[in-house]
Amino acid sequence: MFALVGRSIESLYQVARGLKTVFKHTVRPPITKNFPDDMPDLPGHFRGRLALAVNPQTSEHLCISCLQCERVCPDKCIQITSHKSPETNKPELIEFKIDHGLCMFCGLCTEVCPTSCIINTNDFEMADYTRESLVYDLKRLTLSQDESAHYFAKKELPMPKPKPPKPAAKPAAPAAAAKPAEDKPEAKPEVKAEAKPQDLPAAPAPESPKKEEQ
Amino acid sequence: MGDLSELATLASKHMETWLFYLVALITVPFAFGVLLDRNIIRAGFLLIGVFGGISALFLLLQAQFLAMAQLMIYAVGITLVVVIALMLTNPRMEEDKSPSIPAQKAPAALVGTLLFIALYMAILSEGWGNNSEALSPDNITIIGYSLLTHYALPFEFASILLLIALVGAVMLAKHDHFNSKADIDEIEEETKEISERNEHVVKV
Amino acid sequence: MTSSAVPYNLNEIGKFFLLSGVWLGIIFGAVWAACWAVGMLVPQLILNAYPNDPCALNVANAIRLLTPLVGVMVFIPINAMYMVLAERRGLALFTVRKGPNRVGPDGFLQTAADAVKLLFKENINPHGGDVLMFTLAPIIFFAPSVFGAIPLLAAVTSNHDLFKIVNLPTGIFYVLAMSSIPVVGIVMGGWASNNKYSLVGGLRSAAQAISYEIPLVLAIITTCFLVGSLDVVNIAQMQKGTDNLASFGFLNWNFFGAGAIPHYLDLLMQGKLEGAQVVTSAFWSLALAFCCILLCGIYLTGACAEINRIPFDLPEAESELVSGYNTEYSGIRFAIFFLAEFTNLFIVSTVAVVMWFGGGATPFPGFLDANTFASIATPFNQALAQAGLPPLMDGQTMSGAFWAIFKTYALVYFAILVRGTLPRFRIDQLLDFGWKKLIPLSLILLLAVTYIRELV
Ligand code: SF4
Ligand code: SF4
Repeated sequence: MFALVGRSIESLYQVARGLKTVFKHTVRPPITKNFPDDMPDLPGHFRGRLALAVNPQTSEHLCISCLQCERVCPDKCIQITSHKSPETNKPELIEFKIDHGLCMFCGLCTEVCPTSCIINTNDFEMADYTRESLVYDLKRLTLSQDESAHYFAKKELPMPKPKPPKPAAKPAAPAAAAKPAEDKPEAKPEVKAEAKPQDLPAAPAPESPKKEEQ
Repeated sequence: MGDLSELATLASKHMETWLFYLVALITVPFAFGVLLDRNIIRAGFLLIGVFGGISALFLLLQAQFLAMAQLMIYAVGITLVVVIALMLTNPRMEEDKSPSIPAQKAPAALVGTLLFIALYMAILSEGWGNNSEALSPDNITIIGYSLLTHYALPFEFASILLLIALVGAVMLAKHDHFNSKADIDEIEEETKEISERNEHVVKV
Repeated sequence: MTSSAVPYNLNEIGKFFLLSGVWLGIIFGAVWAACWAVGMLVPQLILNAYPNDPCALNVANAIRLLTPLVGVMVFIPINAMYMVLAERRGLALFTVRKGPNRVGPDGFLQTAADAVKLLFKENINPHGGDVLMFTLAPIIFFAPSVFGAIPLLAAVTSNHDLFKIVNLPTGIFYVLAMSSIPVVGIVMGGWASNNKYSLVGGLRSAAQAISYEIPLVLAIITTCFLVGSLDVVNIAQMQKGTDNLASFGFLNWNFFGAGAIPHYLDLLMQGKLEGAQVVTSAFWSLALAFCCILLCGIYLTGACAEINRIPFDLPEAESELVSGYNTEYSGIRFAIFFLAEFTNLFIVSTVAVVMWFGGGATPFPGFLDANTFASIATPFNQALAQAGLPPLMDGQTMSGAFWAIFKTYALVYFAILVRGTLPRFRIDQLLDFGWKKLIPLSLILLLAVTYIRELV
């Protein structure tokens, strides 16, 4: 009986403590951000929309078509088309597609990317009217030089070294990108088959300087 | 306009009768629904309508207290318990599709008729005098008074009956799990064993 | 944003009060205007148009009889809209958020927009559900709250002529009977949805309502027993305090022992108590007051459980049952469930106000009482009288309605505060608490009050 009374008094005390907390919170200014007016202050590692960065200094595309991201993606929502460049004998990017409707923003692809090309941006407003428009192609994925610089600074990524044989690579990419309209169906299977053995030696090459920097 | 007012006075004179038929018209189909609906849970819900109608009849008889008690205890409390018991005992809640056995039909009809006749006779023999005396406005006081004086004994008996039912229910509910002392001992031993084993595991 | 300039949250709190004030004004005005129009204006116009016609008199009387119903029907939707908004904004205050602040100035019209949205949404019947029962369930859930609220009208308007007819001698018992019906709607809706979460929600609600109804009814019966009446108007009027000490203002409420404390103080002041009597009498008065406070607490707890509010909202526990019994509901049927839930909260608060907090009586004699309101009303009434229209209001009714609504919303805010403070019970704790703690406690209190009443 007395234990019961004691317990009720104890529980009343606990309720009073809870009430105190509630009242303390009542007079605290709200932490709400009025979203469309003020954007939330997101940290650098926020996993938003995926994008492909360019070199902030030279504005060349960072992707080396190593296909690591395509392989690691648990949802299989990345689709890369590349071919072996005839001049440099290295894989070259033709098309890069990410289905954001399928992506779960796990960020695995960004972790394996040897050149920090594919990154999670802070953009999360990507609602759209159709499912098709959620599939982003190379053009929509690639960030501008300024944006890349912004994210590289924000995520504190090491600055990429410019590619040594770049004069050939740069003009080739637009040329290749223009072509694929008719090339694509036949280019894709054979290029991929070729590229895969190729990218193994190619991948470590950019990774090693990165490791040295760290 | 004149016709309308005549109608109004006519209606108000026989208001009670009209209302009685109206309530009966609503209640009786509910009652048939309880009997005929093959979905037993829906039949349970229809029972609420029947009790509601009966409480409306009490209201017509100016027995407000009884009407409210009927609504609160029968229409809500008891029916809900019945419905819940049905849901718990018939978890799949499918309609009972089994055809009724014809051999049961004749005895059922016989018993039903007999019951009806018995009830009818009982009600008829009561000799309901047409009492035009107005009810006292505070009939709750009168009900309370008579319950605690003239009808004190039946009232207490009813409560004892309920108590017995409650104790019985508790017994039944307990009985399921522990049949005898031996069972309890066995369970205790097992628990001890398990706890010893766990202690051992923890030590390791 | 200017809010950062103010160190504390005064900005948001001020907005909350402003919002409440405006909404309450709208509610009060709309209901008052509707009642005035139906109860006074239309009958008078009819009588003016057809003088000396018995039929017109009948029609006018019939329209007058509809006043309580019209009042309640106007009140319920607006009130629910305000209460939802107040709940969301209030909870936002307690949890360091802002709450809805987009639609209209400061989120003022948020719930109105929600209501419109709900009304135009598609009505979906769940596959394999019982459509008839599914449709009936919200109605059964909602209708009793309309009828249950009616006798309370007479109590909160100081027995105004228009609402006198709805005052039943079994008043409080009628309200209790009505408020016990909605649980049928919940079980029905849960079963008819053909969804296991809904069914479990419905069953939980039934178990909870049946077990918490007992302490709730016992608490009310004990108070009725203390007061000696079941009639809500009577109960409310008995608590009306005066400014002499024998029944001073708020001390005369049932909450403080149904007048035991002022009675004791009065005896003490007049020097009628001698020696040990001073102490024993004080003890018993305080004991009675304590019992009454406990009774009120039991009632509020039971009422919370009965209307499924946090901390007893197990039938719609989101983390366990999606949304409980109303998981499958959409559109207007869901809106009705929602409406009824908040109306029920209002009704149980009104019952508490009538039973324990003095109904429409002012807590401090002379403060905003009938005279104050009469002086406010006079210019309006004079203006209307010049136009040949019936008077808009009288001080007595106005002060009764004002205080009753003020106290009721105070209890509603208390419920919101409770929601912001307490976590949800577990189902076994809930039944334990009901059967093993509250029911014995209320039985003990019934006995205690019986004896202490004689001793005071
Ligand atoms: S974030 Fe995850 S799911 Fe999305 S593309 Fe990268 S690896 Fe695939
Ligand atoms: S992992 Fe990086 S470099 Fe390799 S294909 Fe993907 S985006 Fe390009």
